[in-house]
Amino acid sequence: MTTAVELIAAGTAVLSREAMYLDERRWDEWVALFPTDCEFWVPTYTSEGTLTKNPKTELSLMYFRGRGGLEDRVVRIRSGRAPAAIPLPRTTHIVSNILPLAPPEPTIVRLRSSWACHAYFPLMNENHTFFGRAEYELSLRDGQWLIAKKKTILENDRIPFPIDVYCL
Amino acid sequence: MALQPARFYVDDRPEEGVFRVHRDVYHSPELFELEMKYIFERTWNFLTLESQIPKANDYITTFIGRTPVVVTRDAKGQLHGFLNACRHKGATVCRLEKGNAKFHVCLYHGWAYDPTGKNVSIKQREVADYPAAFDADNHDLIPLGKLDSYRGLVFGSLSPDVPPLLDHLGDLKFFIDLHMDQGPNGMEAIPGRVAYTYRGNWKMQLENGQDPYHVDTAHGSFMAISERRRKGQGNVAAPQLDWQKRNEVQIGAYEFPYGHTSVWHDVAEPERRPTFATIEEIKTRVGAVHAEWMLKQRNAVFFPNLQIADQIVPILRTFRPISAGVTELRSMVLGPIGESDDLRATRLRQFEDFVNPGGYATPDDITVFADCQVGFGATGVDFLQGYSRGLGVMEQGANEEAREVGLHPLTSVKGHRTQNTELGTHAPFREWVRLMEAGAAGKKAYE
Repeated sequence: MTTAVELIAAGTAVLSREAMYLDERRWDEWVALFPTDCEFWVPTYTSEGTLTKNPKTELSLMYFRGRGGLEDRVVRIRSGRAPAAIPLPRTTHIVSNILPLAPPEPTIVRLRSSWACHAYFPLMNENHTFFGRAEYELSLRDGQWLIAKKKTILENDRIPFPIDVYCL
Repeated sequence: MALQPARFYVDDRPEEGVFRVHRDVYHSPELFELEMKYIFERTWNFLTLESQIPKANDYITTFIGRTPVVVTRDAKGQLHGFLNACRHKGATVCRLEKGNAKFHVCLYHGWAYDPTGKNVSIKQREVADYPAAFDADNHDLIPLGKLDSYRGLVFGSLSPDVPPLLDHLGDLKFFIDLHMDQGPNGMEAIPGRVAYTYRGNWKMQLENGQDPYHVDTAHGSFMAISERRRKGQGNVAAPQLDWQKRNEVQIGAYEFPYGHTSVWHDVAEPERRPTFATIEEIKTRVGAVHAEWMLKQRNAVFFPNLQIADQIVPILRTFRPISAGVTELRSMVLGPIGESDDLRATRLRQFEDFVNPGGYATPDDITVFADCQVGFGATGVDFLQGYSRGLGVMEQGANEEAREVGLHPLTSVKGHRTQNTELGTHAPFREWVRLMEAGAAGKKAYE
């Protein structure tokens, strides 16, 4: 019997690996953290204090139902034909304040995190910190904990540099 | 370089087939100052959609050039536009992006205004020992010179000396109609907002929409993605056009008075546009020819601050100049009121996929704008050469397509898609010269 503490630790490890894979540009391993039927959602604010609630009827910064949307981003990064990704910004993700959103179950763990992504844009010799919080639904599939759902809130949403999945 | 007369910066010799623009137009802080004064502050600017402030006492804040502005709806439903600055010490009276308020109270000293702009309270007035001259003064919010709307799009001018809005829009009304007639019950801005800045001049975005030539290079990564999508891989919830087929169609551009302009292309796969699903209903309202125009890809510019674009879904994009080298963009995606959730979702995915600052096109556009802005520092390069494609076949007045829908452009151009006309950039620069010259000569912007 896996304890709640062990389940949360397993989920926390996934969040750390996600950040590491993005920072180390290990794109295939990053994509493999998501099952094919994942949901990846970055809502927009509608004004100073309100977020969009329904990606079907309201605007998102990104919304992918299925891993294909994430695979597309990797194809873009590797294409060598995306000016915004030549050169790629160098990033360091800091993920903290990880807490359960609900009591963990043997195959489902729901966590929230606070995150910051420090991005250095070599072309402009400038830094920017993207930051916010995120909610995860982690799912145990064939012995692997995967990110079945991720909702990322970008708090500083007046965006001064082009963004991609590696900025979030 | 010392400032030259405006005419110097746009080398416009149509009879010799020459149209070139000096890089200082994008780069010079001195010219930027004059643009704010002689262009943005002396002509109509797009402000918002009426549907953004639907209820009594709703308001929304925005900018005309550098000037903070608030648009309100009063208790009777009437729209008003004001400078968003308290008469007492100048603080912005409405500090939020939008809201609803019967009274707008300045947070500095508490002066209050109603949605018609009338000053309703000067705190502790009766004990202030104000002189008679103060009491004789007007303390209301300063109204815009002009405010008017067309099909739900609200425009304002700081100067009252502008032509009536409908005259000023002219044939641009046709392109606004093509947006606003897509839904049987009208169109709405879909909730959510996207705002981002880029390190480039405001005219870079204005021109980018009139520049189909950049698409296969700047957006090359998207070619790889659309290749995959055709095989059913990737984010198939966001169908996009096949870019190879897209090269087989006709393209054209029109130049209109007052700096307005539009590029259009035919669409090889209209069935991929959300509008196609309801095209039969649309035909019954607007007729077959207009419905066909709705399916064409269009990118019209309302000079100086709005793109009315419909590459895959109808959008409105505003440019707010911050400095010669920094611009803020905001995009709105429009959808028919009462549209089904499935069509709405497809529309949203298509917009996010391409137009968002985390999509497949905008990040690359704003990156190359920044590259241009650096390149403009090359003092050896004076006049740029990006304005001549299609010039060899330009016609004066309306061509056949324009006549069919009753448009009266100043010039027309048409060709195979790969002509990639650049003539949509001419009208804005000619108006730029006209307004800058009028300003410098101390004349009114419109005689």
